[in-house]
Amino acid sequence: MSLIENTKCECGHQNAVGTVLCESCGKPLEEQKDTAELPLEMRYDGVARRSQKSNPNVIDRVWNFFSSVKIAIYLIVLTFLTAMLGTIYPQENTFVGNFDPAVYYEETYGLTGKIYYMLGLTHTYESWWFIGLLVMIGTSLVICSLDRVLPLYRALSKQQIRKHLQFILRQKTVFKHTIEGDTGHWAEQFGAQLKRKGYRVHRDGTALLAEKNRFSRWGPYINHIGLILFLLAILARSIPGFQMDTYVSVPDGDTVQIPDTNYYVKSEKFTVEFYKDEELPDKLKGTARAKLYETKAVLYECVSGCGDPTAKPELREVTRHDIVVNDPLKYKGLKLYQFDFDLTPRLNAVHPVLVDKKTGNVYGPFDLPMRDSAMQHKLGPFTLDLYANYMEFAIGDNGEPTTLSRDPVAPAFIFSVKGPGLDPAGEPYMYFPMQKDKVKFAQDTINKGIADKIEIRVDGMDNVDFSEASTHLNVRMDRALPYVWVGAVFSMIGLLMGSYWQHRRIWLRIDGSELSLGAHTNKNWYGMRADVAGALKKVGIAVDPKSLDNGGNNA
Amino acid sequence: MSLIDFSSDAFIVAFFLYCFAFMFYVIAAAGKKWSNRDPLVHEKRWGKIAFVTSSLGLAAHLTFFFTRWAGSGQIPTSNMYEFMSFLGMAIMIAFTIVYALYRKTLLGMFALPLTVIIVAYASVFPQEVQPLIPALNSIWLKVHVTTAALGEAFFAVGFAAGLMYLLRVVDFKGKTKEAKRSQFWVEFSLYSILLIVGFIVAVFAFRAAGYDAQFDQEKSVIDTKGIESTIKETVNYTLPPIVKPYNSEVVKFESFLGMDSAVMEAPYWMNGVNSGRKLNTVIWSIIAGSLLYGLLRLVFRKPLGAVIHPVMEGIDPDDLDEISYRSIAIGFPIFTLGALIFAMIWANIAWGRFWGWDPKEVWALITWLYYSAYLHFRLSRGWQGRKSSWLAVIGFVIVLFTLVGVNLVIAGLHSYSGV
Repeated sequence: MSLIENTKCECGHQNAVGTVLCESCGKPLEEQKDTAELPLEMRYDGVARRSQKSNPNVIDRVWNFFSSVKIAIYLIVLTFLTAMLGTIYPQENTFVGNFDPAVYYEETYGLTGKIYYMLGLTHTYESWWFIGLLVMIGTSLVICSLDRVLPLYRALSKQQIRKHLQFILRQKTVFKHTIEGDTGHWAEQFGAQLKRKGYRVHRDGTALLAEKNRFSRWGPYINHIGLILFLLAILARSIPGFQMDTYVSVPDGDTVQIPDTNYYVKSEKFTVEFYKDEELPDKLKGTARAKLYETKAVLYECVSGCGDPTAKPELREVTRHDIVVNDPLKYKGLKLYQFDFDLTPRLNAVHPVLVDKKTGNVYGPFDLPMRDSAMQHKLGPFTLDLYANYMEFAIGDNGEPTTLSRDPVAPAFIFSVKGPGLDPAGEPYMYFPMQKDKVKFAQDTINKGIADKIEIRVDGMDNVDFSEASTHLNVRMDRALPYVWVGAVFSMIGLLMGSYWQHRRIWLRIDGSELSLGAHTNKNWYGMRADVAGALKKVGIAVDPKSLDNGGNNA
Repeated sequence: MSLIDFSSDAFIVAFFLYCFAFMFYVIAAAGKKWSNRDPLVHEKRWGKIAFVTSSLGLAAHLTFFFTRWAGSGQIPTSNMYEFMSFLGMAIMIAFTIVYALYRKTLLGMFALPLTVIIVAYASVFPQEVQPLIPALNSIWLKVHVTTAALGEAFFAVGFAAGLMYLLRVVDFKGKTKEAKRSQFWVEFSLYSILLIVGFIVAVFAFRAAGYDAQFDQEKSVIDTKGIESTIKETVNYTLPPIVKPYNSEVVKFESFLGMDSAVMEAPYWMNGVNSGRKLNTVIWSIIAGSLLYGLLRLVFRKPLGAVIHPVMEGIDPDDLDEISYRSIAIGFPIFTLGALIFAMIWANIAWGRFWGWDPKEVWALITWLYYSAYLHFRLSRGWQGRKSSWLAVIGFVIVLFTLVGVNLVIAGLHSYSGV
């Protein structure tokens, strides 16, 4: 490559190294013998691309690598092949809540699942190599486009009208004819016909250049700009703070902090409506098919005592909204979507009374929330000290009481009770607010003697607070979104420009009475030939469009 | 008569018109060599008859679509029956557009059977109107599904023209390694199409015979809190169960040709809804399709490719190549808009994220990447003719996998439209 090539055309134009067709007259430069009869390679109008340099340095080599469409295609193929792998088993991010991928895949899918996990395919789309492929496609998009669009722009903006005869006769659509009569008049007439077909016609004596829809050549590049924007927006989402996607579960009436934010969300009421039987086809009758679900949500912002776990945060309401599917609560880029629901009722608090069985006196009711109950309750002569509190009571393997979860599924309280007729040091009393647990764990048997002296009980459903349902909300934030849409719009405009319009050019010259016509388009040769044949017919020359075809590729 | 009943009738009318149109196209192509006629006049005459018939079919199909829409109050693209019949309609629209551009009669000979197969495939699925679940109730769903299907329909026409190209240019008498390989794969493509036909035939044959079998399947499900529980599901079979659902008990089993218990059990890793039944269906399709293929081979006594090849004589292969490419080039922007951009808009509205790497989304992206590779191969690497036609054929396989296969094999958000 160190040899200096002679790239001067016979017309006197000095071309850059790598030029296929003279930039000025279009004469094919330096060619092998065996291709000398075939139609010309017209891609990018035969100009030298930026990457075709004689002495490439390291940067040039990297540039050259990414400027190759072949490499770009390999990258695309590699990307879709690896994307296929990622759909074999569910990806990790489809699981909500605590789940251990290392165990899950092996347990569910056996050895292949284990291998799948070990290869990192369980998070294909977040893996460094997949993102690497996307980055490389992005680089290739930038470099391939720059490498071609600038030379192409230069070539198309300074076209010479009179082309070399070889250039014209080696187009893919060619027509030769002997003209009788005034050649100048013929060219003018023919030009007028092309003008009526929407061509821009330039004449230089008996040479003519007609061109239409040049803008469609920029379609692919506009599309690529859109794709680059899109990719950048997607890559920006991995910057912290750009994007968030998490789930919160809010029982009716509760206020829950949205993780990693200063916001709290309260569900005032969750409602679900099912299709009625008469609205369903026979097959689905009797099934609960949800028609509408809605969360009456309130969003709060914490104003003080926020980071402090011991202090109660002070909240200020910022907005409220009834969230239904497709209609999230929105506040400053934060969006809360209806995701799922849980109709298991949840006990929040009871208001029990204490009965002195000896006297029959009833004290209370007192307030006993399932969470964060007061440590001491004074009821008449009795004092209850909270000794322990379980959310889902169970007897552990070691025989000690334990809790299975943090949700009040089977709550239990142990009080140390002091009062008349009881040990002054206090006697333990076990209390199960739910009747089913009272029976299951045999409350009276556990409490032994004290069960004959006092009883804690709830009188009527008025004294029970419970949430009928919990709503599961999906919290999302995505600051990259506007760029994604802009990218998509660019990409789409570019695609439409490039696909539904074609850049068509017709060159002709009349030497003596010999007409030589060549035509080129970047797509749709059928239409190109129809244009030429149509215009020829109008000036009195009938040709079969197909006969204009000079063979070769029809990209 | 209600609108929905009327629309069902229109659907049947469309189906039969398509079948007739197909026959007329075959007559237009094959009848050229019949005695006492001018081949060109014959082709023109019958081509016209066929095109009018297929257009009437499309009109009936459109009637079906809009009356069902009016009757049910929702756009009929929400279950497999509605979607597949919409796809069939979209293929007819795409065919009509491409026909208007190129006026190649014979394209109908391949586009029509494709439509017929897809419409017949659609009618395999339950045809009742089902109410939409809230997640699906949005204008963007309508726009997304219809535009994506139209894009895919153009890919289907590209596939039809690509396959025609191959049938036209492959040398069916050739003995070279290259010729043998082409012959094999063309034959394989035709065989694959017959498998789908076999599936339809099997389903309708056993449905007409009133066959059914039932299993109770125990399934463990892990809910959003990670708690595992076991649920019992009843799985109904309408084809004799060669494969029974994983971990299931027989409830009812009609004996078929002396077979009175399932031969084997579906593997545990098949995750889709009712995967055991689907695997059974696939096996039946292979059996029925192979029988059909064997029968055709017996009738013609030569490979099917070699049977069709002579009909294609006189068609310019370059035109077929160009039509195939052009359909794909027309379909690509529509597909991009429908299957990716509108899908992202809808996903963003419905789920709050424009992209979630759900299997169906990934496969739409794969399809898009595949066709963009196709376009680049063609434009920049000069892949034309055979190579390009093979890519068009394989591409449609990817499209079909995205539409049907993903729901069949992989569980995900889109499995509501399950088979």
